[in-house]
Amino acid sequence: MLVDPDVAAAIDALPNHTNSYGYDAWGFNPNVAKRGYTFGKRIVFPYFRPEAFGLNNIPNGRVLIVGNHSGQLPFDGMIVALVCLLAAKQPRLVRAMVERWFPDVPYVSDLLWRCGAVLGDPINCRNLLLDDQSILVFPEGVRGSGKTWSHRYKLAPFGRGFMRLALQTDTPIVPCAIIGGEESIPSLFNVDFLARLLGVPYLPVPPHLPVAGLLAYLPLPVRFRIYFGKPIYESGRHDDEDAVIDERVSRVTSTIQDMIDDGLKNRRSIFR
Amino acid sequence: MILVTGIKGGLAQRVAARLLGAGHDVVGVDYRKDLELASDISHIPVYQASYNKTAFEDVFRRHAFSTVLHLGRVGNLSETMGKRFDLNVLGSQKVMSLSAQHRVRTLVVLSTFHIYGADARNPTPISEEEPLRAGFEFPEIADAIQLDNMAWAWVYQHPEVRTTVLRPCNVIGPHIHNTMATFLRMSRVPYVAGFNPMTQFLHEDDLSGAILSAISGTGRGVFNVAGRDMVPWRTALEMCSVRGFPLPAALSRRLLSVVFHQPEYLVNFLKYPCIINDAAFRRTFGWRPLLTLDETLWTTVEDARKGVRRSEFG
Repeated sequence: MLVDPDVAAAIDALPNHTNSYGYDAWGFNPNVAKRGYTFGKRIVFPYFRPEAFGLNNIPNGRVLIVGNHSGQLPFDGMIVALVCLLAAKQPRLVRAMVERWFPDVPYVSDLLWRCGAVLGDPINCRNLLLDDQSILVFPEGVRGSGKTWSHRYKLAPFGRGFMRLALQTDTPIVPCAIIGGEESIPSLFNVDFLARLLGVPYLPVPPHLPVAGLLAYLPLPVRFRIYFGKPIYESGRHDDEDAVIDERVSRVTSTIQDMIDDGLKNRRSIFR
Repeated sequence: MILVTGIKGGLAQRVAARLLGAGHDVVGVDYRKDLELASDISHIPVYQASYNKTAFEDVFRRHAFSTVLHLGRVGNLSETMGKRFDLNVLGSQKVMSLSAQHRVRTLVVLSTFHIYGADARNPTPISEEEPLRAGFEFPEIADAIQLDNMAWAWVYQHPEVRTTVLRPCNVIGPHIHNTMATFLRMSRVPYVAGFNPMTQFLHEDDLSGAILSAISGTGRGVFNVAGRDMVPWRTALEMCSVRGFPLPAALSRRLLSVVFHQPEYLVNFLKYPCIINDAAFRRTFGWRPLLTLDETLWTTVEDARKGVRRSEFG
C-alpha cells in the first residue's frame, strides 16, 4: 500500500485549494502528497518518534508558524508538517518555506512542491497567507540549519521578513520550539571552501565522520519534541523602520528561546 | 478601421476574422513575404512592409485607423538578434509614434510572459509589477524586454492613445506555429530530468477574446493574460498524448538548441515555474478564458496526433 488510510483521510479533510486537475499554483498535489506523507508516517515518524505539545494553540485560518532551525537537513520542517497533518485534531497542511537553493535540486524539489512546500519568498508567503493557508518559516535560514555543536539551541539572528508579512496580512504568529534536531546530525565545524565548490550553503563535519564515513550524514534516531506556543497577535505598520520591527522580532525570538530552554530542561534523554 | 500587424501569423488572422465578424474594417500588415491569408479574411487589404521602414508609414497615410493591434512581435526563433531588434524595438517604436501622429484612439501591444523568465527565485504567481528576470540569463531576449518596457512607458507618456500591453502565457492553438505549439506537436518531447514545473497555456481563441476585450474596454496599462488552469509540464505532455523523455539538466540547453532548434531560454521553462497572475486583466476588462486546459492543449496537437488520444482528462 503506497498510501496510508489515515494520511489519505487527513489530506482529504483539508480545504480544497487545487484546480480541476488536482494542482494548486505552487504545484501541491494531494495524490502525490498522500504518498509523501505516508512515507513520513511510516519511516520518519517511527525513526524520530516525534512528540507534539500545544497543537491546539494553532488558530484556524491563516497562520505563521515560526520555528528554530537545526539539524543540517530539513527534517525539522518535515516533522512539524507531519505532526500538524497527522497529530492535530483538525488536520492542517503546513506549507514549509524552503531555502532558495532547493529549486535547483532535481527530483527532491519536485517532490517538495507536490507535498506542499514552497520556495521561501515573501511574495509566495503573502499570497498563501491571503489564501488563508498555514506557513512554516525558519527566520534563521541556513544560519540556523547549519549550526555547529557549540551553537546548538542558541537562536541565530532572525530576519525581519516574517514579521513584516504578519503585520501586512494580519496573521497570528505561533512560536514553535523544535527539540532534537541539533543532535540528529551534530556538526563540529563547516568546511566552507568545499561547500562553495559543491554549491551548497554549508558542509558539516560530524564528529563520527572518520569512523562512519558518509554514513555520518544519516541522522541519528533522536526523539523530536515540538512545542507550539500561544499565538502572538501583532498589529501596526508593516513598513515601519527596521528598529521598530526588530523590537517585535526580538519578542518572538525570546519567546522561542524560552520555549527551547524549557524543552531542554524537561528532556531526560536525547533518544527517549 | 483597425490595423493588425503580424497578419501572416495564426493569431493575427484569428483576431482579424473575429473583428470582421463584429463588423469592423480590418487592414493587415506583415514584414514577411508571401502573405497568404485564411479564406475568411482573404479579402482584407494587406501590406508587406517592415515596421521600422518608411514604407510602413504609407499604410497609416492610406487608412484612418481608430485602433492598432500590434501583434507582430517577432519570436526568438525566426530571425537573427539584429533583425529582431530592428523589427521589435525600432519597429514597435514606429508603430507607437505613428499611432500618436495619426490620432489612433486605441493601441494594443502583444508582449509575452517570457520576459519574466523562468527563474529558480520566481514567486508564484507573478504579477505585472515583478522584475523581468529573463535577460539575466538569456540576453538574447533583450529585444522583447525592451519592446515591453517601451510600450509600458508609452502608456503613460501618451494618454491620448489608450494603450494596453498584454503579456500572455504560452499561446497555443491549431493555427499557432510558435515554439511552444511546435514543441507540443513533436512526436517525442523532452523534459529536464528531475524537474516538472507548473505550466500555463492560453488558447488562441481565448487570447483573441482578450484582445477584443482590450479594444472594447476602457482600461489601460500592462496586463498578464493566462488560461484557465495550470499543470506540471509532464502532465501537459500526457494531455497532448505525447511521450516525454528525460534530458539531463547539464546537457539540455545545448541539446534543445542544436538538436531541436528551440530557443535556449526555453530550457529554464522546463525547470522552473513561471506562473502569472492575470487577475488585473480579468477585473479591468471583465474577460475570462472559455476553453479548459485540456481543450486548449488537445486542439493544438489533435492533427499531429491524427485524432488519437491515449487518455482522457478534465
